[in-house]
Amino acid sequence: MGARVVTARTGARGFSTPSPREVVLRYLLLVVALFVTVGPFLWQLSTSLKGAGEDVYTSTPSFVPSEPTLDNYARAFEAVPILGFAGNSLVVAGIVVVGNIVGATLAGYALARLRFRGARLVLGAILFTMLLPGEATIVAQYLTIRQLGLADTLLGVALPGAVGMLNVLLMRTAFVAVPKELDEAAIVDGANAWQRLWHVGVPNVLGMLAVVAIFAFIGAWDDFLWPLIVLTTPEKFTLTVGLEYLSGTFTNNPRVVAAGTMIAFVPIVVFFAALQRYFFRGVDEGAIKG
Amino acid sequence: MTRPATRPAERTSSRTPSRGARTLLVRALPAAGPGHAARTHAWFTPWLLVAPALVFLLAFNLWPTANVVFLAFTNVRVLSGGELVGLENFERMLTDEQLATALVNSIVYMLVCVPFLLLVPLGLAVLVEKKLPGIAFFRTAFYTPVVASAVVVALIWGWLLDDRGVINAMALRLGFVTEAIPFLTDRWLVIFSAISLTIWKGLGYYMVIYLSALGGVPRELHEAAAVDGAGALRRFWSVTVPGVRNTMLLVSVMITVSALRVFAELYVLTDGTGGVGGADVSVVMLIQMYARGFSGNLGYASALSLLLFVVTLAPLLLIARINRGRG
Amino acid sequence: MNSRRFGAAGLALAVLTVLPLGGCALDGTGGGEQTEAADASGEVTGEVTLQTWALKPSFTGYVEGVIDAFEKQYPGTTVTWLDQPGDGYSEKVLAQAAAGELPDVTNLPPDFALSLAREGLLTDLSTVDDTLADTYVAGALDAYRYGGIEGTYGYPWYLTTDLNYWNTEMLEEAGLDPARLPTTLDELVAQAQTMKDATGEYLMSRKPGLGDFAAAGLPVLSDDGTQFTFDTPEAAAILDVYRDAYADGLLPDDVLTDAYLGNSQLFTEGKVAWTTGGGNFIDSVLENNPSLEGKITSSPYIGATPLYVQGVSVSHGSDNPATALALAQFLTNAANQEEFAEQVPGIFPSTTSSQENPELAESDGTPQGAAKQIAFGNLTTARVLQPVEVTEAMVTIVNQQFAAAIAGDKTSAEALEAAVDECNKLLADQ
Repeated sequence: MGARVVTARTGARGFSTPSPREVVLRYLLLVVALFVTVGPFLWQLSTSLKGAGEDVYTSTPSFVPSEPTLDNYARAFEAVPILGFAGNSLVVAGIVVVGNIVGATLAGYALARLRFRGARLVLGAILFTMLLPGEATIVAQYLTIRQLGLADTLLGVALPGAVGMLNVLLMRTAFVAVPKELDEAAIVDGANAWQRLWHVGVPNVLGMLAVVAIFAFIGAWDDFLWPLIVLTTPEKFTLTVGLEYLSGTFTNNPRVVAAGTMIAFVPIVVFFAALQRYFFRGVDEGAIKG
Repeated sequence: MTRPATRPAERTSSRTPSRGARTLLVRALPAAGPGHAARTHAWFTPWLLVAPALVFLLAFNLWPTANVVFLAFTNVRVLSGGELVGLENFERMLTDEQLATALVNSIVYMLVCVPFLLLVPLGLAVLVEKKLPGIAFFRTAFYTPVVASAVVVALIWGWLLDDRGVINAMALRLGFVTEAIPFLTDRWLVIFSAISLTIWKGLGYYMVIYLSALGGVPRELHEAAAVDGAGALRRFWSVTVPGVRNTMLLVSVMITVSALRVFAELYVLTDGTGGVGGADVSVVMLIQMYARGFSGNLGYASALSLLLFVVTLAPLLLIARINRGRG
Repeated sequence: MNSRRFGAAGLALAVLTVLPLGGCALDGTGGGEQTEAADASGEVTGEVTLQTWALKPSFTGYVEGVIDAFEKQYPGTTVTWLDQPGDGYSEKVLAQAAAGELPDVTNLPPDFALSLAREGLLTDLSTVDDTLADTYVAGALDAYRYGGIEGTYGYPWYLTTDLNYWNTEMLEEAGLDPARLPTTLDELVAQAQTMKDATGEYLMSRKPGLGDFAAAGLPVLSDDGTQFTFDTPEAAAILDVYRDAYADGLLPDDVLTDAYLGNSQLFTEGKVAWTTGGGNFIDSVLENNPSLEGKITSSPYIGATPLYVQGVSVSHGSDNPATALALAQFLTNAANQEEFAEQVPGIFPSTTSSQENPELAESDGTPQGAAKQIAFGNLTTARVLQPVEVTEAMVTIVNQQFAAAIAGDKTSAEALEAAVDECNKLLADQ
């Protein structure tokens, strides 16, 4: 890389070794928070692993399945083409993630770092639309997509969420936090706006980019009503819509439904686990210091 | 050292006389702008950058928004259409008892949620920011409630809060109470149960935003404070909080907007009934009730949306004022 | 289109029509005048679309079999089958209708069909098929005939009903005799009290709805379908019975907020001893809770027996009306319905010729068979209890108000009056 990468973090590393007492305290707090946040999910996981003979309805359900089985997962896979649905969901989520990363980064940078006539108007419009609830507009939204010829396509599902206004605001906040001095140094070096965005801005907002990517992915992955309305052909259904067939078929069989929700859940966890390191300040320690 | 980056612009703008709600709102967010006048880019560069977002803003945000504003003055039904009816929908609100209940609920919701969700996720972010062995696991784990679907949440929380649920079973066994606590049927207990659900789901969401912002707080400040002998709590208040102040502002806006728009939590906990006598409805629940289904009264639903917009404006203006006061 | 009227898309629609993007695709949107009645006399050939509701994957084989047989009987036809998931179906149909792209043949319950018929989006079958009354049972056809609208807007497809199911083990433990099951509300409450005193368990776990008033022979909606009338002293008396039962601890707390399926869920979990359910309810319980095997018995519904009708409607805007009609008739003919009923024990054919079918009327001696026999036996007197004019929003209002009355927050009369007021407002909105 011939380019000069500038980052905000210049801290000394020696400070990051905490005392043993602090480590113990931190783990204690971590475990408490862990209990609160994921305890309930383990119960769901446990339900999905319970065999047909096991009563999942007693008032004191046992946490550990007495006869653990993957049958429920097998049944879920048999009942509906889960992999095909998941593929469709990935396509939609992919479009939405890329759209948001590109769109929100560009707009967020311009709104945070470049002075131009109309900037306030754009920002005001973004806020205005965020504040007005959109619950009453879903049919109108569908007619728009239809006008574009995108009814019953995955692109039609993805498009309305492809650049989220909240994400533009998040990226703008991240860019505002980048020290102005870095920009000024780059200007002195003769860098134009695009170069400053790429070499000064982006390396300093990787954390927020990861946040935007995750929000976009989850929003696209979890949405139910919108893909249901846009899509008509069952082969194009996304996972949330497709899994509805499971809860319809196994109305009173929480084991299979639980297996279905776990299947839908895993990709999100993987995606998050892959990106979480970008939140961490140590990530760019390898980068060239400014 | 880094914070003043935003100051000059903030200061000049706060001196100009108010130009109405829109500009005030803009100020609710951290102010932007390079602090120098020299032109550093071609006039069209910013527009090229915002162009993609602008297209989506127009097509999928401003357009439906304009629709809502327009429909609020009509009696349009989803299938049969309708005509302009002037202020009829707004007059109807005045006698709508459910709406009064819903407004009170939504405002209580906001007042409780904002302080909790502003601070607890920040604490959580500080906790998982330090690289300890296994920290990636904890970070991922803390985020899981965010991605939980409404169905899963309903199952889990019903199981916890039911009158024969885990919490009541324990409370009865330990003798704290003699009768099951009506978490799901008492008006205020339902709302506070829903609030705890919102906070539970929101912890990871806002933690992630704070995490990305914490990276920007210079370590020197922490070190200096530590050298001065400040304890962890003092460092949190005197270094961390000011360091992520801009992010906190944005987060408080996000919490306010989403708390006033609470829907899923109350819907799930009351099985869609809105509680005994409809005492636990929120404004968005009403909007949904009118907007959805074959008999959807889009006119009234849109008018309710406009009302909620106005209600949301008030706390945001307050946030803007607080922000200005500090700047 | 009248220039003063606006469609569902409001401004979007108004402006889009003047943009080049607009074009003729908007003609199908509700509000516009429809063309004259579909021409049913054309040749049965070409492509049609069939939309069903939540039949995949359990009944994929059956539906595909029917479609194959149809295509064989009418060479040159091609049927595209779409099946929509259970959740969100009304939203889906609504969006299709608003966009003018309703499938040629669509599975619509009577209340969905009413909204579409009101806007002229469905074919009036009585104008194109004069064998309706001979082919389908009257109660089922009536579900697709509406006050204030001329015509019949759906071919009845399959019928279901509700009956009572009892957990005999819980009854016996409480000293109650499964041979002497309650047949009135008062007996039900009395036995619930006995059970509560003996074992502390619950018998009842549901709150009443509009259907309960109709089952008791009380008025719910005026004949012309314009006013709700269920705020009667008799209805208040029914609510009072539930209120007292609740105050005596005979109902679990969650009945106040539980949605429609709450009590069958509790029954499946073995937590209450009574529920109502369809003809194949026992099998679905056993699949989820095998420990109830041999412990469930059934009895007829208390009061008038409810009838639930599913049917298929033909889109008024169909490009191929003759084939669409032929498909709808084929799908709902006696042979196909009887085969469907055989595959799904809880559902029954709506065709008149099937009502004498001995296979449907006989019990094989199992509790499941007995339940099926009771259900089938009561079909002839069963009727649609909750008026089709009642929307989801109205059900929500009714649930809220009845819960308030049962909890004792307001008197039954006050709750009924409030519910009638709100429901009338919603009715007037339509």
